[in-house]
Order: sequence, then C-alpha cells, then structure tokens
Amino acid sequence: MATAKDFVGRISQIAGVAGCLLVRDDGLVLDQAVDDIKGYSDLLQTSSGLASDIMTSVGFSHCHYISFNRVNNQTFYVFPIDKYLLGVVQQADCSVAAMLERIFQLIGKVSTSGAKTVA
Amino acid sequence: MLHLIDELKVIPGVVGACIVNAQTGLQVTNLPAIFKPERLTLVGKHLLKLYSAGCMNFDDLTDITLNYDESVVVARELEKNTLIFAICDPTFNQNLLTMSFNLLHEEFKLGNFTEAGGQGEAKSARTLPPVEREMSGALHSLLAEMKELLSEILGPMAGFVFDEVKDNWVEQGAPDFSRIEELIEQLNQEIDDQDKIDKYRQLISSAIKGFQKG
Repeated sequence: MATAKDFVGRISQIAGVAGCLLVRDDGLVLDQAVDDIKGYSDLLQTSSGLASDIMTSVGFSHCHYISFNRVNNQTFYVFPIDKYLLGVVQQADCSVAAMLERIFQLIGKVSTSGAKTVA
Repeated sequence: MLHLIDELKVIPGVVGACIVNAQTGLQVTNLPAIFKPERLTLVGKHLLKLYSAGCMNFDDLTDITLNYDESVVVARELEKNTLIFAICDPTFNQNLLTMSFNLLHEEFKLGNFTEAGGQGEAKSARTLPPVEREMSGALHSLLAEMKELLSEILGPMAGFVFDEVKDNWVEQGAPDFSRIEELIEQLNQEIDDQDKIDKYRQLISSAIKGFQKG
C-alpha cells in the first residue's frame, strides 16, 4: 500500500472532498486531513463493526461504504479497506457521483495485502 | 402503518421496508419472507446503535445508507428508539426514497401511525380490517408469498394490484384457504395474459402445496 500520507493526500485532493482520515481497524489514526480526529475515528470504528454485524445478520457480502447523510449536505462516508477505514467528509455542494467514482478508483489502486502501513 | 411502508415499495429498486423499536422489536414489515423477523429486529437494533453513534458526531443527521455488494440499506430514525429502514437494489432511486421518508416521517410525527399491539414480531395484521384479522397466520404467509411472486409477473405494480384484489376477495367472503382459487382467478383477470397467468400458477404452486401440507 502506498504510504498512508500519500493516500490521504490524494483523497483529500479529489473534487468534492472537504476532509478525510485513514485509521487502522484498531483505532490508530494513520493520517488525517480533517478536524475532530477523535470523533471521526470512533465513528469509523463503530460504524464498520455494526455494518459488519448487519452484513452477517442478513447474509450480505462486502460493504462498499456507509454514508451519514446530513441536513447541511456534508455527508460523511466510511470506506472499509481491508484492515483500514477511510473516512471522508463531503463538501456541501459537489458532484457526489464523480467524487465517489474517483475515491473508488484510488481505493482500487492501493494494495493492503501483506504491506506494512507507514504512517 | 403497513400501507404507508407499502407505498415505499412502489419506488423502483425498493425491495421493502420495516419499522423496528429498540424495546418492542419489529413493528411492521413488507419485506419478502426470506428476511426473517428475528433477523430484521437484529438489523434494526444494529442500525439504531449506528444512528446513535452518528448523532454523537452530527446533530443534523437525517439518514444512514449502507452500500453492500447486492443491496443498499437506508435507515432513518422516526423517534427515539424507533427506526425505519428500507432494503433496496443498488440501482434504487435514492432521491425518491429520501422524499418518501420525509413524508412518512411527517405522518409519524403527526401521530398517524398506530402503536403496536404486541411484542417482538411483525404486526401487519393490526392495520387490516377485522375480517382479515381472522385469517390464520399460515394463510397470511401464503398470501405474502403470492404477493411477492406476483412481482415477478407484474413488476412494481404487483403490490398494489395484489392488495386491491385481496381486499375485494376479503369483502366477498371469509378469508379462508377454501376460497384461494377465487383469489387466483381474480388475480388472473388482472394479469390478463395467458402465458403470464400460466407462469404465475407455476410460481405459486409450491407455496400452495406447502400450505396444504401444513
């Protein structure tokens, strides 16, 4: 996997991204480009665990992402990437489809298998 | 309450919805029988936790969406500890569902939903006319399955058509399995295509046989 810093840097440059952070599934924040790191980090862990529980309960397979939709349109997204969790804060006024497509392109390009995470 | 969540099923891609309360469990559902009530209760409780976690970060949280490979789950809290969630195909129309959630939420706030009568399982019968409440649980399940299978013939309108025909059928006599052929005949008139009528008969045959075997 590219270094966490590279990855977070690239994600944060995508049009429509207001901020992002990358955490390991044990809660370690690898890098961030957002305020309130603790709050987001906790939400990433909690939501990933519950999404996994729901997946098991109903028999769904892979969870691509979770979104917290808000009145102010600054949706917060959680992307599980193997043992990592990417959190993205969306800008209120942007092309969501284009932003998500670009994020998935970048997620598709990184490899986490067997790689050591470099914060 | 059931007819309100039935309206959600009209939205392209929405498989069905249900309402879950943290204490009393599943309130009502119109999801296919493959989604067992106890599983839906569990999912609802997980979603309530997820919603609470979200509210700790965002005081203007509206909906939560979970995008899985084969389905999307969209949830909204109607009031403290009560949540509605819909299970959709990935191609569903999210804007339409959000708007419908808004309308349904308003109805809920206005108290247009009645409270559940019992505990722990789906109570769709409480919104039905008295004569229909006399229907056995097994017959309810059979009709639910027939309704679901009709969607393979008539598509998104199947739910409306089935409910309308079923309501007429109930008005015409006791809702009993002995009159099931009358119901099928009325549905056939709505299908109005012999090939599709034959296919529907084929689809429901195993459900009917299963009912007869008990």
